[in-house]
Amino acid sequence: MDPVAIRNPSSNGFRNGAPRTRLTRGRAGSMSLQLVVILVPVIFGFLGFAIDLGRLYMIRGELKTAADAMALAAAARLNGTDESTTAAATAAEVARAEFEGISNRYDYGGTQVGDAEGNQTSTVEEPEFFDTVSAATGEGDDGGGGGSAGGAEARHARVAVTAQARTLFFRFLPQAQEGIAAIRVQSVAGMSAPLCVACGIEGIVIAAVDSGDTENFGLTTDTRYTLGYACNGANQPQPLAGTTQRLPYVILNKLNEEAESFADETTQAYRIGANGLPPSTNDAISCVRVTSDEPEIVWATAAPIQCAAQGQPMRVPGLVGNYLCGMATRFETGVFAGCDTIPEVDAATGALLPDTNVDDLDEYAGYTGNNRRIITVAIAENLDDVNAIPIIGFRQFLLEPLPNNTNLSPTDGNGRFVALYIGSPAPVKQGRVSGCTIESGPGKVVLHQ
Amino acid sequence: MRGRNASRRASAILETALWVPLLVSLLFATVELARVSYTYYTLHKILYTVASYLSTQPGVNFCDDADATIDAAKNLALFGGIDADANQPIIQGLAADQITVRVERFDAESDSLAECECSETGCDINTGGIAPNYIVVAIPDGFQIRLALPGINNDPIPLRPRIRMPYGGG
Repeated sequence: MDPVAIRNPSSNGFRNGAPRTRLTRGRAGSMSLQLVVILVPVIFGFLGFAIDLGRLYMIRGELKTAADAMALAAAARLNGTDESTTAAATAAEVARAEFEGISNRYDYGGTQVGDAEGNQTSTVEEPEFFDTVSAATGEGDDGGGGGSAGGAEARHARVAVTAQARTLFFRFLPQAQEGIAAIRVQSVAGMSAPLCVACGIEGIVIAAVDSGDTENFGLTTDTRYTLGYACNGANQPQPLAGTTQRLPYVILNKLNEEAESFADETTQAYRIGANGLPPSTNDAISCVRVTSDEPEIVWATAAPIQCAAQGQPMRVPGLVGNYLCGMATRFETGVFAGCDTIPEVDAATGALLPDTNVDDLDEYAGYTGNNRRIITVAIAENLDDVNAIPIIGFRQFLLEPLPNNTNLSPTDGNGRFVALYIGSPAPVKQGRVSGCTIESGPGKVVLHQ
Repeated sequence: MRGRNASRRASAILETALWVPLLVSLLFATVELARVSYTYYTLHKILYTVASYLSTQPGVNFCDDADATIDAAKNLALFGGIDADANQPIIQGLAADQITVRVERFDAESDSLAECECSETGCDINTGGIAPNYIVVAIPDGFQIRLALPGINNDPIPLRPRIRMPYGGG
């Protein structure tokens, strides 16, 4: 045994079993320095993590906002035509791009989404399109990988954005090689479930040909029909040339008696024909409901009258002509000749542009316009009592030029026009899905993911 | 002996006095950066709430400064309810009138977005205009936040998040 080790430290100059030297005395005085040397990198590390993680989380939120906007813009253009996916991709790009110095940006609003150059880059993948929500969100049997749909079937759009975010302190983690962390976000938007309350639609109703057919109500897709205003008694008007049959319709009562602008009912009917039911916070004015509790009623001054013999100039209520005057703006710019007696008609028309495709089409898939010619009409079980019309769904038609290759004419004495039945491929402006139990019909654009 | 102990204590106190302010400053700076980050995130979330609410509401007249739906959207985002006095504000110092909503229309000829005029040919739905294609929700003058760092007099930093969203309200 080392004799030194058993000496009493308190009496022999040793402390804690070690001899006290000049060196140990110096070390004892530097304990706080050692502590700092160890602590500072650790503290720096934790602070760095906190700052970087917060920033990455922020970037993720900003990218998600941009992806949401792109997906919603794209989904609104999916109208069931061959060209719809092209139009949707263009719409997504418009939602991403910068105009007048404004765009959805990320990294504290400092970086443009989709910039491939610069200190920090991001890429927007080509939007993908799907026929079902499960395929779009990857929750279906195919995991979202094999469900891509062409323009005619596409109802949902998926947009993904990946940013290569630069980190300040995070560089030594494997997920952030060379100080770059990849952040990927994805948004899915598309058609909702069938609407029970459809807003902004055209405000007319037809009777189902077969109310037992919940898919198409007895109508045939890509078939031309004559929509003619309902009248009572014998002498029912004939369908227009080239159409399968005449479908009687009536204008629903959506008169806004409290309107501060366009107070005249003829102007209101014109506006509805031109651009659908006006937006309002009052559902009763701007929407049509599928419900048996409160059936819709006909516009009071447009109640069907007795069918008259051929040769009489106007055999429908005058308001129908006003409605069709508005509908004619979907084909051509300005006010149709003879419609200029409608009060405030210029103001009611000024903002409306005609469809960009007014061609006569046998198949809806070939339509390339801006949806102005697509009308959404309510379907009733019957029109037996126009003061209690039971709405059972909504379906869509594409307005067609008349057989003599002229645009829709408001002067038709029976309020007739030609429309191609298309089912329910295009999203409606607004509406609600609750309150009924219908299985099919048009929806509105919603964000799924 | 007593003198050497006193010297060691003095040395430790001196070193601590040198390092502690640095560590505290680092801590302060981090907390302040986190505060800025959190504030920006909250502002972004508030504007997103306004944009997503408004973009799905029918009948919004963006040309009317007193439109009830716009007020409701701002209150929802700022207070968590459509009534202004429903709850405490989510962020102190941000007033509803600091948030603006710009309306935009897509021009198919130029494939671009431009501000939509409040007129009968534009986006004023009360005079014959039709709904916009996009809305932009922003705080144009910025939300001013000042870094509270001891001993440093900083200018306030204006935070300006901005959200563009397609309008689907009809």
